[in-house]
Amino acid sequence: MDTLLLARLQFATTTSLHFLFVVVTLGLVTLLVGMQTTWFVTGNPRWERLTRFWGQLYVINYVLGIASGILMEFQFGLNWSGLSRYVGNVFGAPLAIETLVAFFLESTFLGMWIFGWHRLRRGVHLALLWGVALTAYASAFWIMVANAWLQHPVGYRVRDGVAHLTDFGALLRNPTLGMALGHVLAAGLLTGGMLMAAVSAGHLLRRTTDFALHRTGLRIGLVTAALAVSLVQGFGFAQFGPVGEFQPTKFDGGPTADARIAEWTTRFGPGDYTPPALSGVGLGFMILIGFLLGGVWLLLPLLWRDWAIRLRFPLWLTLLALPLPFGAVILGWLAREVGRQPWAAYGLLPTERAVSGVDPGLMLASLIGFSLLLGGLTVANWTLFARHAARGAADPALGRPPDALDTEPRPTPAFA
Amino acid sequence: MAPVWYALLGLFFAGYLVLGGLDYGVGLLLARRGTPAAHRATLTALGPFFLGNEVWLVAAVGLLFGAFPTLEGELLSGHYPAVAGALAGVILVTVGVQLRSRVTGASARQGWERVVAAGSALAAFGWGALLAGQLQGVPLGVDGHVAGVTHLATPFVAATGLALTALVAAHGATFLTLRLPAADTPATARLARRLVTGALATVGAATALGLLADRVRATVRQPLPAVLLVVALVGALLVARAALGRGRPGVALAATGAALALPVAVTGAALWPAALVSTVDPAATLSVADAAASGPTLRLLGWLALPLLPALLGFQAMCWWVFRGRTDGRAPVYW
Ligand code: HDD
Ligand code: HEM
Ligand code: HEM
Repeated sequence: MDTLLLARLQFATTTSLHFLFVVVTLGLVTLLVGMQTTWFVTGNPRWERLTRFWGQLYVINYVLGIASGILMEFQFGLNWSGLSRYVGNVFGAPLAIETLVAFFLESTFLGMWIFGWHRLRRGVHLALLWGVALTAYASAFWIMVANAWLQHPVGYRVRDGVAHLTDFGALLRNPTLGMALGHVLAAGLLTGGMLMAAVSAGHLLRRTTDFALHRTGLRIGLVTAALAVSLVQGFGFAQFGPVGEFQPTKFDGGPTADARIAEWTTRFGPGDYTPPALSGVGLGFMILIGFLLGGVWLLLPLLWRDWAIRLRFPLWLTLLALPLPFGAVILGWLAREVGRQPWAAYGLLPTERAVSGVDPGLMLASLIGFSLLLGGLTVANWTLFARHAARGAADPALGRPPDALDTEPRPTPAFA
Repeated sequence: MAPVWYALLGLFFAGYLVLGGLDYGVGLLLARRGTPAAHRATLTALGPFFLGNEVWLVAAVGLLFGAFPTLEGELLSGHYPAVAGALAGVILVTVGVQLRSRVTGASARQGWERVVAAGSALAAFGWGALLAGQLQGVPLGVDGHVAGVTHLATPFVAATGLALTALVAAHGATFLTLRLPAADTPATARLARRLVTGALATVGAATALGLLADRVRATVRQPLPAVLLVVALVGALLVARAALGRGRPGVALAATGAALALPVAVTGAALWPAALVSTVDPAATLSVADAAASGPTLRLLGWLALPLLPALLGFQAMCWWVFRGRTDGRAPVYW
């Protein structure tokens, strides 16, 4: 086992895990903004109950998003010190901006939102959720700026073997950024919508109480998912343009790819410059899932007169389709990131020069240790998510009025 | 411009130790035996601040990557076990605190409390070990890479890790003295005083081991400021002890906070103008100026991030203002 392979494996596992949580964050926060704003405008308590129920699930999902995100951030320094050394001047800037502009505020706002029910004015409380949503989108934007730069380095000049920033605007105008960002954000909406529809469908199938609430959830979820899947498809196909132009070796060979490989061979010496086949496989299955999920449109007419609920099989379909968007996002990232190999920064920094000079034994221990740690916590997190989703909206802890009793058994009611 | 960014980096990391120290201190105290109600009250006291505290670490590392990329790579990978340990601790605390109240059943909650306590100890120890590792220098070669990790296995590193853990525990207990309902104050204040005394002992031990260690003496570039700052640290702890005795928990919390920020200042000042000192080849030593990103990157970060700083600090201050005061029966409960 060499250090490089282990470091790549670790990056792939943690990032994939991180992304499973953040797609849900990005999707649900958007829906929550809609629900809480509707509550604010109409004053209808039904929307408050929806906001509290889905808000609590959102916050539970957030837990592992943060935990895995912190590990992501440290991995650059721990495992990829060559990346900081050679391209840190350019690549580090969007990441630093992300943490200061987005995460710092996002966490601060979220803490105040969770604890601010019944304590802050309703307008302020709503503004905090808007703040959380905007900073979440900002973080997605800046991380995609960083990732797009690795896909297609721009706006830099190499001096003494180290890349220096020359034109920050070029990073923002990166042709591999725009469509990918739209695709990722739409994938978030699709996943959030599917999740909401599936949880609601589960309740409707089990005929739990709160029919009206879960009926609304199903409708919001399916409509969101349908709109989002079209966006996902549109942005997805639009990505082939920039990928074909700037990363000719990614998905297929051809004369442009051969020319690029010949150029690299003269500059970096002979080597294998074609990405592993895994990349194309990921792409194919993702597109398959994308078309399959397009079928959500067929369910929309069944919302008329609640046929979707009465017929029941549409509810089953919704429930069973839930793993699909999660599978697609992992496959999509495999396509994008494995397709970039053997480059850490395409055509500029080979992956093997980006990795730290850490002992393989240590790297293996780190890979196993952190995978077990995050894996275990993920299972715990999803179990709790499922349990709270199944429990329903009767009395979520989030936004519980201060005089209501906590569920915890305790002798004195001194601390509500 | 590099010194300004270095100071800002120090500010964020010190801010993390002070505020994250509250999380870990409170987390360590969850390891004590106590009624479920006492543990509930402890977590309620921390509640609204938890997310805003933890994110200072994220910001500090983002700043480290953006403004000092070379330092980031070598500092973190050169102290791999310390950083990985601290990171595992941070993850355990982040998840444990937030999930603890989402489970029902006393034993499941106790399980998550143990996770938080263990994570808190790991995190505090790990960051202490990282600072000590920087103070005793690393085997940084001219190729720019740190060779091996055995350089971390010294008594000084262990003592500093313990000292930071003890500081964090004292800080957490002082915070609870200020924040729990007034009826609980005398008992928590007594506990906090005992913990401050313990912190004094461990800080003394770490200082003595540092003064005795050849590697530390060879690494330190500015002995006088370093010693003065350590004296200030001890002074802060004495102030905290006296203030707890006189029933002034606010003063005491400011003092334990200063005591947690000072180790960062000691490290930065002691090594200045170096950021990472090589024990094998003086030519390989990384100075603050060499470690910094190049001019255009720093200017860009300055234009974008510095005007934002007041907003960042302002919203954090807003959080502390909204949820100020002692907790009572109407304090919001979530985790
Ligand atoms: C719900 C998730 C989902 C679904 C249903 C789809 N995708 Fe996707 N796709 C992603 C989620 C995703 C992603 C995880 O968000 C990726 C990874 C990187 C990125 O920019 O988006 C991605 C990457 C990605 C790439 C790689 C871009 C690159 O290598 O730079 C292409 C070409 C497509 N997608 C195209 C499609 C097409 C044509 C789809 C269906 C018709 C489709 N995707 C469905
Ligand atoms: C948007 C921010 C991202 C950045 C900056 C980023 C950066 C990187 C870096 C530095 C590596 C290691 C070097 C390399 O192997 O080339 C890597 C590899 C990888 N990343 Fe990403 N990544 C991002 C997002 C993601 C996401 C969200 C996923 C998955 C869900 C992902 C999946 C992978 C995989 C599978 C690899 C391993 C590829 C291989 O080594 O063959 N990445 N990425
Ligand atoms: C290599 C790449 C990445 C790194 C270093 C990274 C880092 C982080 C960190 C440190 C956090 C925790 C912030 C906090 O404490 O609040 C986080 C959360 C988050 N990340 Fe990532 N991330 C990466 C990839 C991505 C990608 C590809 C996306 C989306 C497109 C994304 C979106 C988010 C969002 C929305 C959050 C906040 C919500 C949540 O925690 O669930 N990240 N990330």
